[in-house]
Amino acid sequence: MRNNEVMTKKICFAFAIFLAITGCSRLEDENSKSEAIDNTEEVDNYYLERPEFFSFKTLEDLPADLKWTSGDDLSEIGSEKAKKGGTEYRRLQDFPRTLRTVGPDSNGSFRPLLNDYVTISLAGTHPDEFDFYPGLATSWAIDRDSKTVFVRLDPNAYWSDGHPVTTEDFFFMFFFYQSEYIVAPWYNNWYGTQYSNITRYDDHTFSISVPTDKPDMASRILGLRPVPRHYYYDLADNFTEYYQWKFPPTTSAYTLDTEKDLQKGRSIKLRRNQDWWAKEKKHFRYRFNADTISFNVIRDSSKYFETFRRGEIDLFDLTLSEDWYEKLPNDAPEVLKGYIQKTVFYNQHPRPTYGLWINTNQKFLDNKSIRVGIQHASNWKLVIENFFRGDYQRMQTSSDGYGEFSNKNIRSREFNLDKAQAAFSDAGFKKRGSDGILINGEGDRLSFTVSTGYERFKDILTILKEEAAKAGLELIIETLDGTAGWKKVQEKKHEIHFLAFAVGLEMYPRFWETYHSENAFDKAFLDDGNVNPDRKVKTQTNNLELFAVPEMDRMIDSYRESSDKDEIQEYSEKKITAV
Amino acid sequence: MVSYEGNLYFPTYSAFHPGTEFGLDYQYETNYRELKQKFQEEGTGNWVLMPPVTFNPYENSAQDNIFRPRAPSIENGHYLGTDTTSRDILSRLIYGTRIALWFALAFTLSVYLIGIIIGCAMGYFGGIFDLLFQRFIEIWSNIPFLYMVIIVFSVVPSGLPTSARIMILLSVMVLFSWTSMTYYMRTETYREKSRDYVSAARIMGASTGRIIFKHILPNAMSTLITFVPFTIIAAITAITALDFLGFGLPPPTPSLGELLKQGTSSLRTAPWIVISAFGTLVMILTLITFVGEAIRESFDPKKFTIYE
Repeated sequence: MRNNEVMTKKICFAFAIFLAITGCSRLEDENSKSEAIDNTEEVDNYYLERPEFFSFKTLEDLPADLKWTSGDDLSEIGSEKAKKGGTEYRRLQDFPRTLRTVGPDSNGSFRPLLNDYVTISLAGTHPDEFDFYPGLATSWAIDRDSKTVFVRLDPNAYWSDGHPVTTEDFFFMFFFYQSEYIVAPWYNNWYGTQYSNITRYDDHTFSISVPTDKPDMASRILGLRPVPRHYYYDLADNFTEYYQWKFPPTTSAYTLDTEKDLQKGRSIKLRRNQDWWAKEKKHFRYRFNADTISFNVIRDSSKYFETFRRGEIDLFDLTLSEDWYEKLPNDAPEVLKGYIQKTVFYNQHPRPTYGLWINTNQKFLDNKSIRVGIQHASNWKLVIENFFRGDYQRMQTSSDGYGEFSNKNIRSREFNLDKAQAAFSDAGFKKRGSDGILINGEGDRLSFTVSTGYERFKDILTILKEEAAKAGLELIIETLDGTAGWKKVQEKKHEIHFLAFAVGLEMYPRFWETYHSENAFDKAFLDDGNVNPDRKVKTQTNNLELFAVPEMDRMIDSYRESSDKDEIQEYSEKKITAV
Repeated sequence: MVSYEGNLYFPTYSAFHPGTEFGLDYQYETNYRELKQKFQEEGTGNWVLMPPVTFNPYENSAQDNIFRPRAPSIENGHYLGTDTTSRDILSRLIYGTRIALWFALAFTLSVYLIGIIIGCAMGYFGGIFDLLFQRFIEIWSNIPFLYMVIIVFSVVPSGLPTSARIMILLSVMVLFSWTSMTYYMRTETYREKSRDYVSAARIMGASTGRIIFKHILPNAMSTLITFVPFTIIAAITAITALDFLGFGLPPPTPSLGELLKQGTSSLRTAPWIVISAFGTLVMILTLITFVGEAIRESFDPKKFTIYE
C-alpha cells in the first residue's frame, strides 16, 4: 500500500514536470510573438536610403499623355456553364517541406500549384489572345521610352484578411524579395537587378520601371504579385523558421487555414474564399469553381493510380504507356461508362526539361569527352519508341518550344556506340574490364551514379543502363523519394540526375538560372579571368551542371540586358549552341 | 556453352566475352541467342548450347519492340512471362532467389557465430560479465532494425557497387539480429555447465575453450539446429520486405521483393508477375521449413539416444 502511494506520487511528479515542460514551451511561443519585431521603421528607411529605386510622387506628376489600356474587350476566360461547389481531390507525391514560397526548400513542385490558386498578378496573359487581361490592376499604360509601366490598382482588391491591396504592398514586395532575411539569392538578384524603380502616385496608382526595354517588359511588370505589407511587419532574421508553416493572406480565390486545413505529412486543403473580392469580376467569375481543393499525399504511384480509379482522386496524368494502354485502356469499364474521360491534348508551351543533368564538378564528368560519350551512350530512342511506344518526342535542346527563340538546327547527340567509344577513349578509357565496363590506365572504371526523384520513371533508367553497358559505361541507378532527390541536386551532391524543371510560359528561354557561373560557384573566376582555385560550390541554385564558362557568363549578361528582340534571338541561339 | 573454332567457352561462368571474340562486329557482351542462329546458318561446325532459360535477368527482350508485361508462353521462351520492361521473370526469379539464399545463409552463419560465442561466454562465465552483457543486449535489441536500415541506407554513398551495398545491408541486419541467439545459448550453457560431466572435465584440467566447444556446444546443438530454418526464413522475408519497400538492393538487381512490388502495381493487367513471385517465395519458405524439419529430426534425442 505504502509502495503504491510512493508510486502514485512519483507518477504525479513526473506528470507535473511533463506539463511544466510542455507548458513552458507554449509560453515561450507566446513570448516570442508578443516580443514581435515591428519593422515599419526599417522598411521606411530602406525606401528612403534608395531614392533612385523607391520614388514618391503625387498624382499631378503622372504623365498626361499615357495611353491606358484595360484589356476589358478580351473574351471571357472560362465558361458560364461552370458550376460552383464541391471538392476537387488532387494528389501530392510528397508533403512540401515548407509553406513559404521563397527561401530554402521552397522551390518544390507544390509552389507553382500554390501560386496558381492563391495569388493574382497585376494582369494575366490571356490564354487565347496573347494579350493582358486585368487582375489586380484595372488599367495600365506601357511607356517604352521610359521603360516604365504605369498601373492603376483595382480599388476593390482586398487581401483575404480584409486589408485592401495598395501601392504599399508593391513597395514592400521589392523590400521583401531584395532582403537577406528570406535567404533566397535568386530572388535577391532578380528583384534587385531586373527592376530599376517603383514610384508611388497614390494608394492605388504606381509605376514600375525596368533597366532595359526588353520585348517582354510589360509581362515582367504586369506579372508581379504583391507581398502583404501588413502581414510581414515582423519580417526578420528568423523568417525561414518562423514562417515555415505560416500562410500569408491571399489575393486569389483560395485561402488556407493552417489550424484546420494543414495535416502535416498528409494533406493540405485550400478553401474558396466565399467573400472573394473578384468573384464577380470578368475573367475570374467562371474559374476557381471548387469550394475546396484537397491535396492528399500518396507517395506510391501505383497506389495513386488505384485511388484515381476508385474515384478518390479527380485527375491523373496517364504519362506512362503502360497506364494508358494496359491499365486503363479505352474499353475499360470506367471509361466506357463515362466515369473517367481520357484525353490527349496539345498546347503551345515550352516543355519541361527532362534529361540527365550531369554534374561537371565531379571526377571524370569534368571531362567533355566523357560527357559527349555519355550522350552517345544514352539510348533515348529505344526508351521513346519501345517503352513509350512512340508517344513522346526527344527534346533537341534544353530550351525547346520557344518558337523563333529556339535554335532548330541543333540536334541532340544520337545513340551511337562507335561515337561513344571514340569519345571515351579520348578521355583515356580504352580497355574493357572483366565485366565489360571500360577502364582507364589507372584502373578506374567508367561508372557513374544516376539518381532520380521520380520513382515512376526508374524503368527508363534501367533501360538506359542496359544500353549504356554496351558502350562500356556503367550507370548505377539510385531512386530516391521526390524530396530527397531534390535535396540531393540542390546540394549538388549528384553525379548524374534525371529530372525536369517546370518551365513557365515566357517569350524566350532563361539561361541565367541554369548556366551562369554565379549559380555554380562562389566567385567562380578570378579577376584576371582564370578559374578561382578556392571556389566553393554554390548550393540551392538551379545550375545543376555546375556549368561555369566565362564566355557563357558574358553572353548571358548581355542577353539579360539586351532589349533588342533580334539580338536576344541571336544570343539565345548561340547559347543553346554553346550548351 | 559455346564452341567456336575448336575452343570451348562457358559464358555463364566466366567473365565478359565481347562480340568480336566470336567474329561479330560489336564490342559489347555477345548476344548468344543471335550467335546460335548465326552459327546454325553458317553451318561451319561452331555451335552454342543454350540453358533452358535463354534470357539474362537484365535484358529487355520484347518480341514486338514494345516494352510491356507479357503473359507466360512456351513459344517465345518466357515461361513465366515478362515484367513491365520486358525482362524475363523466370530468369529474374532464379537470380533473385540465388541472391536471397546466399544472403540468408551468410546472415545465418554470421548471426550464429556471434550469437554462439557471446551466448556461451555469458552462460559459462556468468557473474558480472553475464549481467553487463544482458543489460547491453536488452538495450541493443530494442533498437528498431527496420529504421536503422533505412537510416543507414540514406547515408550510404550511392556510388558504391551493388555487392558493397549488399554487404552493408547484411552487416546492418546481422548487427541488429545476433542478440536473439544469445538467449538460447546462454540458458543452454548454464544448464550444461552445472552437469557432472562438465565438472569432471574441469577436474581433469580441460581448458575453458575445450569445455565450451568440445563438451557444452555439441550438447546444445539440437536447440541451435531447430532455429536455423527460422533464421533463414526470417532473413529471406526481411530482404524481400526491404526490397518491396525500396530500401533493399538497388535497381536493377533482380529480387523477389522488387517483382512483388511490380506485381502489386500491375495486379489487374499482369497477374502472372505477382503469382510467380509469390509462388516462388512460398515455395522457398516451405522447402526450407521441410529441410529444417528433417535436420531437426536427425538430431532428435528421443529417436537417437539410448538410455541404459
